Amino acid sequence: MSALIKKELRLCIHPTVFLFFSFSALVFVPNYPYEVIFFFSALSAYFCCISARENGDLAFTGALPVKKTHIPLARILVTVGMQCIMLALTGILGAVKSAALPAEQQINQAGLSANLALVGNGAATLGAFNLVFFPLFYRSPERIGVPFLLAAAVQFLLVGAFLLLRWSVPLFSETLNGGNADHTAAKAAAMFTGIAVYAAATSLSCFFSMRNFKRVDL
Amino acid sequence: MNALAVQGLTKDYPHFRLDNISFAVAEGHIAGLIGGNGAGKSTLLKGIVNQIDAEGEITVFGKNFRSDEARLKQKIGFAGGGFRFYPLKRLSAVRKAYAAFYQDWDDRKYRTWLVRFGLDEHKKVRELSDGMRVKFSLALALSHGAKLLLLDEPTSGLDPLSREELCETLLSLARKENVTILFSTHIATDLVRTADEVLLLSHGNLLENCPLSELLSRWKTVRFADVATAAAANAVGLKPGKNGLEGLLPQKAPLPAGAVSRDASLDEILIHLEQAQKEDGNICPRL
Repeated sequence: MSALIKKELRLCIHPTVFLFFSFSALVFVPNYPYEVIFFFSALSAYFCCISARENGDLAFTGALPVKKTHIPLARILVTVGMQCIMLALTGILGAVKSAALPAEQQINQAGLSANLALVGNGAATLGAFNLVFFPLFYRSPERIGVPFLLAAAVQFLLVGAFLLLRWSVPLFSETLNGGNADHTAAKAAAMFTGIAVYAAATSLSCFFSMRNFKRVDL
Repeated sequence: MNALAVQGLTKDYPHFRLDNISFAVAEGHIAGLIGGNGAGKSTLLKGIVNQIDAEGEITVFGKNFRSDEARLKQKIGFAGGGFRFYPLKRLSAVRKAYAAFYQDWDDRKYRTWLVRFGLDEHKKVRELSDGMRVKFSLALALSHGAKLLLLDEPTSGLDPLSREELCETLLSLARKENVTILFSTHIATDLVRTADEVLLLSHGNLLENCPLSELLSRWKTVRFADVATAAAANAVGLKPGKNGLEGLLPQKAPLPAGAVSRDASLDEILIHLEQAQKEDGNICPRL
């Protein structure tokens, strides 16, 4: 598996992945729906899959001494690594913002503040993306557009749902909103809940992707 | 011991069927897989290495391939034609990624192949000609101590000198290092030059599976004066030629009056057997 992951990093990773990491700094933009930041992480997974397809990566990898089912697993694990970096960067920059700016500037008029709960929301949206995108992609790896459109639609629906909750449910609009200094335990709980959803959805994504890829002709 | 045994390999596509292919290749032997375009040669090789979802049982060095795929692939060198992957990457980047998968990767051997094939590792894949891509593909496949080589049209796109060099290399690997080789080709001369056994594939069916010498000694090509004479002699795969009608007859069959015979070449055997199958309606693609 480590050789497969190294191969992904050496031959398949798309340069925009690194560019999109910098988009985590969008947490400093005032009044912005910060959950959208995580869409760029999903977009980088899409670019990596396109790049791999154009390079004939699956046929190349299929001839290597690996189990066929490990091929999608390695790609998803690399994606998980990228997404975790994006989540961590967003969390860290959010914490920096919380510490550096006065409390009134923590309030986000477009959505949730850049805090720990946002990381949980982001993780949940990325988990939903992974659950839809990879199993569909590995059912027919020549067709990337439709799986991406469907997965992105699900991700944006979830982002919309989180924005709605921010304005309609006190738990989101009061307890989970604002800087990390207030209601820290609740925000941490929201973050861990989001991460648990992400882990569960991505595990299911791995299972279905491996099962679907078994039947694919390279 | 058989290095490779294939039992009942079957793959259905909407317009093509690889139909219940069974054969075995003994250790240290070279088997040539020959057939026209679309005969199913690449499909068969891909089916062996599990690149396609095919039915059937594959045994490599006595072990079930499907249940021990990753470990058995360490012993297999697979080159599916010219290297058509990662056109923007340098050969060195591809080699680094590739070598990491093989426990017995031999960098010294790889360097030797690079020099012998005239490959520059600093070049990008897209800068290689078709022939050089085949050579790069072979250099990778030959550098990890593989005991079974599966090569899909390894000589296509190579100039005559390189083809001859490759044929010599295959013979040397089989004779001196006991490497087993199964390669597909549509160039009969390469197969005659190297192969111990021949697998003749046509429209997804295995028409012949026997030692090359046996196949060549089984048939003679006969030129007949007219259709009636050919029909009376039970000629196989009758086709119009430059100076009359040509078909195959068994070596021991009596020569009809007015007919002229010669030893059948592998190409002629392939052509006439295919023609015979077409006439019988046995090998039309299943639509």
